[in-house]
Amino acid sequence: MTTIGNIKGCLAGKILRVDLSTGKIRTEGTRKYAKKTLGGRGVNSLIMLNEIDPKIKWCDPENLLCFGVGSLVGTMAPGACRVDVSTINVFSGGKGSANVGGFWGPELKYAGFDNIIIVGKSKEPVYLYINNSQVELRDASLVWGKTIFETENILRRELGDNNIEIALIGPAGENRVKGSAIIVDTAKAAGGSGVGCVMGDKKLKAIVVRGRGKIDVAEPERFMKEVTKCYQQCVNEAFGVRWRNSPYNLYSDPEWEGWNTNMVVKNGQDDYWEKEKEIRLMNHRTGIPSMQKGVRACYVCPTGCIPYMEVNKGKYKGTKGEGFWINTIMGHACRFDISDPESVVKSWFLTNELGLDGDYVAAGLSWIFECYEKGFITKEDTDGLELTWGNGSALNELIRKLAYREGIGDLLADGMIETARKIGHNSEYYLIHIKGQPSIEPFRIPKGWGLAVSTSPVAGKHLRGATMGSKRFGPKPRPGDFNVIDYKNQAKNVVWQGKTKELEDNLGICNYVGTWGGANFLTIDNFVELVNAGMGLDLTEEEIMNHYAVVGRNLEKAFNALHTNLCREDDLPPKRFRKEKVKSGPYKGFKADEDKYNEMLDEFYEYWGWDKKIGMQTRTGLRKLGLEDIAEKLARQGKLIDK
Amino acid sequence: MEIMIDIDLCYGCKTCQLVCSFHHTGTFWPDRSSISVFRNPQNGIVKWSIDSTCDGCKGENEPLCVKYCVYKAIRIVKKDIKKKEGRVHDYDRQY
Repeated sequence: MTTIGNIKGCLAGKILRVDLSTGKIRTEGTRKYAKKTLGGRGVNSLIMLNEIDPKIKWCDPENLLCFGVGSLVGTMAPGACRVDVSTINVFSGGKGSANVGGFWGPELKYAGFDNIIIVGKSKEPVYLYINNSQVELRDASLVWGKTIFETENILRRELGDNNIEIALIGPAGENRVKGSAIIVDTAKAAGGSGVGCVMGDKKLKAIVVRGRGKIDVAEPERFMKEVTKCYQQCVNEAFGVRWRNSPYNLYSDPEWEGWNTNMVVKNGQDDYWEKEKEIRLMNHRTGIPSMQKGVRACYVCPTGCIPYMEVNKGKYKGTKGEGFWINTIMGHACRFDISDPESVVKSWFLTNELGLDGDYVAAGLSWIFECYEKGFITKEDTDGLELTWGNGSALNELIRKLAYREGIGDLLADGMIETARKIGHNSEYYLIHIKGQPSIEPFRIPKGWGLAVSTSPVAGKHLRGATMGSKRFGPKPRPGDFNVIDYKNQAKNVVWQGKTKELEDNLGICNYVGTWGGANFLTIDNFVELVNAGMGLDLTEEEIMNHYAVVGRNLEKAFNALHTNLCREDDLPPKRFRKEKVKSGPYKGFKADEDKYNEMLDEFYEYWGWDKKIGMQTRTGLRKLGLEDIAEKLARQGKLIDK
Repeated sequence: MEIMIDIDLCYGCKTCQLVCSFHHTGTFWPDRSSISVFRNPQNGIVKWSIDSTCDGCKGENEPLCVKYCVYKAIRIVKKDIKKKEGRVHDYDRQY
């Protein structure tokens, strides 16, 4: 195993441990965990694997809710603001993880903590208040039941401080709706894996942070030299330049190739959306771009990807808020065939305000729309709502019902697979999900994207390795050329992308500023230098890429093996996309070919060093990473290939 | 010489605040910065202010907040212009 010397900088140094059942609060050092994983999500994964017994379910008090701020967060490293939230996945029962930017993570580090580990369940609603080293649990009865906006305003007034940063849940999380998110900084969501549902289950409404401390780096001059270089790269990056000079964001770029490859329409009935609808939605004078009033950025971020929007006409006039991404269009427009711009914006902000995960809402509710179309459910079941394609007001009402568990919302809140079982009629076939978590992702056209989503250890979601074949997207230099619609050479790129994402999550650097977004913002060379100068280490690129970028994924894989019976079959795209072809558009006739996907899987497992046949980890592979103890644990449960 | 902001161009990323604290303390300590940034995502407001502890980044070629603002919102202006127009972008528009 790669051993590193003492970490001399970047870390705040402490992990905060809070037991909600007993109210006990204590701290411990971060370094012993960070030495093995470099920090952030890696530390969360390590703690979860060591401390959660395989018998524990997501709703048990013994389940941990872990917040991990990346090790470079709090410094000037560009885009270093990300926080990982890990817990047991409410959908798959395995590892759950969601990632979020904003300003909360850096504030926590300035308060002196790298991670927060929450265990137990409170009897009454509480919130955690961290004011530098002073940490206390406070009564949250005043804000329980309130939306995100209301809660933030009340807490700011109650604490008399406008500079606090808040991570909180909305009514959806309180009501234990499975697809609930933890909202940070009003508009950024740690959405996946049902992390908000776990937080609500623990009756923890919010974590409020105020930090006035500092973060030291080991070699300030050398670190700032690299930071300057990184900023220069970001300033010069062609995509970034175009982006900053345009009044609109990526989502409204008509030349973005994803318009043809990544749009799943009507819950997967097709992968092509009529151009007229796209034009209506994205018209710069009357469509979504006309509502954009400005752009915002997360902490120390040079790319700035957060639009601030205000709805200026129609029945949703007055709706405003931050955050609107291409996912919004993939999910809330195409999937429901809604081309009315105001409805799309409203439904997205409503999702945020009630603390729901946008992807869960999009994938789950579009499926229920299809069930309505096919006659599996009727108007009686939907409390009178007409769930017809393109009906934006029905969607908005349904979102509200879901968050508050009203009527049909209660049926949908316990997870879509459970709902499908109740509905019957083979409706589960039409539900697009990966390992139980509803998914909005495309699988039939972009093959690397599909492979990354279906193999993601946290049940779907594209950020664990999705590749884009675009000229602007994806890393340079790429580990190998590929065409986005082909199967060839995809596995190698997906693995590379997965590794760099692992590294970025441990360091807390945004994937957009890193290796995924613009063609060439930050590269691995930059990461190596930032880590060495910032943390006072002496690591080579090979050590970083072959150890620290790999160890976290293996920890998650092991957690899944211990806690679930997920197998190779679960790493394939949803059945519907393997059977039904794309019906129209330039990629008419495309489907997710099972044999070809299996070939990609073989290659994918091989690159990760896992057994090809059943996709399990091997003893040699884990030994190389210094994870002998975990290999032993797996072997005891018969979840290890002994070679 | 005065450091000023065109608030319409500001993305609210607080890079200026952080790099300012680095100039003053040699470490990343936003509490010791001459600049403070306030954002309210609910209504899109961004407020920016600079206090009298600003020394124009003595010893540096240019003020660090100006250097690291990739959105080009922060600039150096002559003092009398500030008094006359109040905001930098008014000044820009006029000429």
